[in-house]
Amino acid sequence: MTEKNKKDRKKVSQIDASVVTQRHTDAERFNLKQKLLRRLSHRSVIGYYFVGPAILFFLFVSIFPLTRTIVTSLTDKDDGVLKFVGIQHYLELLQDEWFWNSLFNIGIFTGSSLILHISIGLGLALLINETWFSNTMRNFFRGLLILPWIFSTATAGLMWSLLYHPFGIINYIAVGILGFSAPLEFLQTPSTAMASVVVVNTWKSYPFYMIIILGGLQVIPQELYEAAKVDGANAWHRFIHITLPQLRSLLIATSIIDIITTAGHVDLIRILTRGGPFRSTETVAYYIYNKAILDGNMGYGAAISTLMLIILSILIIIYLKIISRGGGTGETTF
Amino acid sequence: MRQLFSSSIRSRYVTYQMVIVSFTVFLSIIILLPVAWMLNASVRPIKEILSYPPKFNFDSLTTKYFVSIIKNETYQQYFYNSTILAISTLFLTVGLGLLAAYGFSRFKMRGGRFLLLGIMALLMLPTVTLIIPYFLLAKTIGIYDSVFGLVIVNTAFILPICIWLLKGYVDSIPIDLEEAAMIDGCTRVQAIWKILVPLVLPGLVGTGTFVFIFSWNEYLLAVTLTDSPESQTLTVGLAAFFGQFIRNWNSIMALSTLTSIPLMIIFFLFQRWVVRGMTSGAVK
Repeated sequence: MTEKNKKDRKKVSQIDASVVTQRHTDAERFNLKQKLLRRLSHRSVIGYYFVGPAILFFLFVSIFPLTRTIVTSLTDKDDGVLKFVGIQHYLELLQDEWFWNSLFNIGIFTGSSLILHISIGLGLALLINETWFSNTMRNFFRGLLILPWIFSTATAGLMWSLLYHPFGIINYIAVGILGFSAPLEFLQTPSTAMASVVVVNTWKSYPFYMIIILGGLQVIPQELYEAAKVDGANAWHRFIHITLPQLRSLLIATSIIDIITTAGHVDLIRILTRGGPFRSTETVAYYIYNKAILDGNMGYGAAISTLMLIILSILIIIYLKIISRGGGTGETTF
Repeated sequence: MRQLFSSSIRSRYVTYQMVIVSFTVFLSIIILLPVAWMLNASVRPIKEILSYPPKFNFDSLTTKYFVSIIKNETYQQYFYNSTILAISTLFLTVGLGLLAAYGFSRFKMRGGRFLLLGIMALLMLPTVTLIIPYFLLAKTIGIYDSVFGLVIVNTAFILPICIWLLKGYVDSIPIDLEEAAMIDGCTRVQAIWKILVPLVLPGLVGTGTFVFIFSWNEYLLAVTLTDSPESQTLTVGLAAFFGQFIRNWNSIMALSTLTSIPLMIIFFLFQRWVVRGMTSGAVK
């Protein structure tokens, strides 16, 4: 350390001291110092007081029931008597063709929902992120485009059931204008039921992804685009070489959130199709609900839940790796 | 020459803007069609909606479907339950969430990072994986079929995202402000209440709106953990109504509209803060 540096430091501390003494007497300063010191040494403990209530809440209301799910999956109720059956349910599960059916359905459901959510969300976010001549107008349309997100799944399902009705407006377009011979029974035909559910899920959920992607677009430095323009890159090249790479980790993280949320949907399927027709829309989540709550076979339902948790926890771990990248210093901020 | 050049750029800019705006208007119309159709079906006899082509007689508009829903005591009870549920969940979640967000943001704790990652993992826990133990436990400890039980379980699913969003807000407020207040003689609680809370108010409003919408719309927990109209919510009522063999579309749509109106009002009032919270905090 140089001599000059030391001098500067001394100066600064003198200024600090003079500021403090202007406002506090010596005794007060001493007390204050003691207090601050005490606070520093207790710092890590005080933190737990603030975090504690939420953590305790999670322990009792999330973690404990979660362990109960796993325990329940190893038991069976026989004539009202609970008994331990080990992994019997899991063995049954591997033989259960309806379980494999539901696994196939959930793959179709989450896969197609994911593609539609992210592409529509990205497209609309790009549109809203363009330069608009009026910000008020842009915010107004942003509000309109988010609107589907605020409706409950029940309401969304009902709205679309009306549209899908054999005499509803979609069938009017199909039969009355496009000349189909008979109205399409969207939700009653096995080949179209899943697609119809995916459409409703897309309509209901794309706004969430649109907003998150919009947030990602807004932090991409404008200089990158300007530099690319100077180099003669057109809009498509700018999208491929700047926007997508900059959004990469956000898109991966968002996709994982989407897969997990979509996989967990029971309400949408219950309201639109109840898993039918011919179990063509019965996903794993709905199968759990069906077995455990409607049939009352808790052990078996819990076994499916546990399997689902194991599959999803792989995705959750990947997600946590992404959001905590660059950390590792032991700090609580990411 | 220069005049010509700038006017051609100008006209290109105007054309570009027109394309963007008209395209957005077009998409908005398509996207909002189901909502418009719901509103239409709640004030017009269903025969005119379900016909080729749909009719738009001005004379047949009526409010009788709304009136019959509003006068129905069961739906009044549903509405009351949903309101109690959403508001209680809101206060419990934002209260616990702000404390935890403050703790995570301001203190370096041993294991803090681990706890925060654990909360992020809980954020993604699907509701359906917990309905079995909830169903069994709620019956054992006697909170089955009560709004109180719904408040507790709803909080478990919305609290993680609430902590995450609020932590983003608390992080953005400099710690110096609270320290200055504490040096001037405030206690920590006073410093939080008088300095921090007013500054993170937009975050509290945004997060609160998020929580309100979530718990107002929640269906799976409500249908699993309740049994009687005394504790059922609007979403359960809607779905049950819909399940009947003969579908009274007009009343269903009137009830859907009435269910959605509070959300639309709240959303348009607080849209700015909800969007800001989601764009800044959710995934980074």
